[in-house]
Amino acid sequence: MFKLFFATPDKKIIADAELEEITVPSYRGELNILPGHAPLMTTLEAGILRYKLKSGESQKMAISWGYCQISSDGVTVLAETAVVGADLDIKVIEQHLKENENRLANESLDDVQWEKVQHEIGRLRAETDLLAEKTH
Amino acid sequence: MASLKDIRVRIESTKNTQQITKAMKLVSAAKLRKAQNQIVNMRLYAHSLLKVIANITLTERVNHPLIVPKPETKKVLLLVLSSDRGLCGGFNAQINKFTDNYVKTNQGKYETMDFFFIGRRALDFFAKRKFNVIGSMLKLDKDVSYALASGVAEKAMHLYLDGQYDEIRLIYNEFKSAISQSVVCETLLPVDLEKQTLIATEAHSPGFAQDMIFEPSPEKIIDQLLVKHFSVQIYRCMAESVAAEHGARMTAMENASNNAKEVLSRLTLTYNKLRQEKITTELIEIVSGAEAL
Repeated sequence: MFKLFFATPDKKIIADAELEEITVPSYRGELNILPGHAPLMTTLEAGILRYKLKSGESQKMAISWGYCQISSDGVTVLAETAVVGADLDIKVIEQHLKENENRLANESLDDVQWEKVQHEIGRLRAETDLLAEKTH
Repeated sequence: MASLKDIRVRIESTKNTQQITKAMKLVSAAKLRKAQNQIVNMRLYAHSLLKVIANITLTERVNHPLIVPKPETKKVLLLVLSSDRGLCGGFNAQINKFTDNYVKTNQGKYETMDFFFIGRRALDFFAKRKFNVIGSMLKLDKDVSYALASGVAEKAMHLYLDGQYDEIRLIYNEFKSAISQSVVCETLLPVDLEKQTLIATEAHSPGFAQDMIFEPSPEKIIDQLLVKHFSVQIYRCMAESVAAEHGARMTAMENASNNAKEVLSRLTLTYNKLRQEKITTELIEIVSGAEAL
């Protein structure tokens, strides 16, 4: 049994689904996980997460910070945010991205703010990437 | 004695009030259901997060500043969670009373005790006191989101890590059921892992292998996880408080509707009696008039 549990603080996305394959944007880069993977725990960066279930259902989502734990019986993914392409609006994202990039370039930010803006930019870029992939 | 017309007016206005309270009750019931769903979903997340933290701390030795208590507790930051709106029974009054008592009993113990208010009701109540308020957050009646909670969490955490405070506590209404809530005070920072670990190990995950690979190092992972854990804790308390608020409002409105019903039946009785009396008097007048002829 190789199961997927995937949740964000606001909603449970999937639980106890038989997993065929999952790709996560891990700390070290894209990580593809198949059943039988060695036990691993890693943090996730902002990026695109893809999974395919045994039932044939597959999904890709843009996530921001999260972590992923792989054990013998399945994969647990917790992400701060997770959105599908259909819920996104490219115009809104681009505007937010621009605002944040401007802040980075023009304002003098302290460490905390800088980190926050970087984090935000990372999330927005992941969302843009997701949309770009969709139109191909 | 009130005239027939006066009573009629009162009946009408009571009916209107009853309609409003009934509607408010229904709205609260719907919102409560939503809030409860939110809590259930968030618990899943919070629980798996805690499980991982517990598992890492079991296998690795961790000395994180968010876990290790300060040698002395001198400076305390109190977060007080109330609602923005009234008409929810004792919800806010309980919070205010609890906070007031808490301050009175603990005043001498600490060097400083500062406040951060979430929700307008408590802020207004304590505005006249000489409390040191470092900040507040209002207008949360829309939706409590994780983003909102993590904003507060970040702020509080930086104050803690900078050494401004030795402990961060939170006073809020714990959601027990739709009709009962109780005020509790929780210490959020430093994270009390022993208690938390106990809770988590009850549901110990068998899949956690000893030869787990960590990327990056366990210290770095736990550092990030603890930060998230703190945000999730605040989010949980906020979600519980919102659910408790709707529960309290629902009960209060239910009671108000029942009271209105009672008042209505009393008023209707008086009205009918008066009307009957009036008819009787008129009849007697007519009969005695006819007899006189």
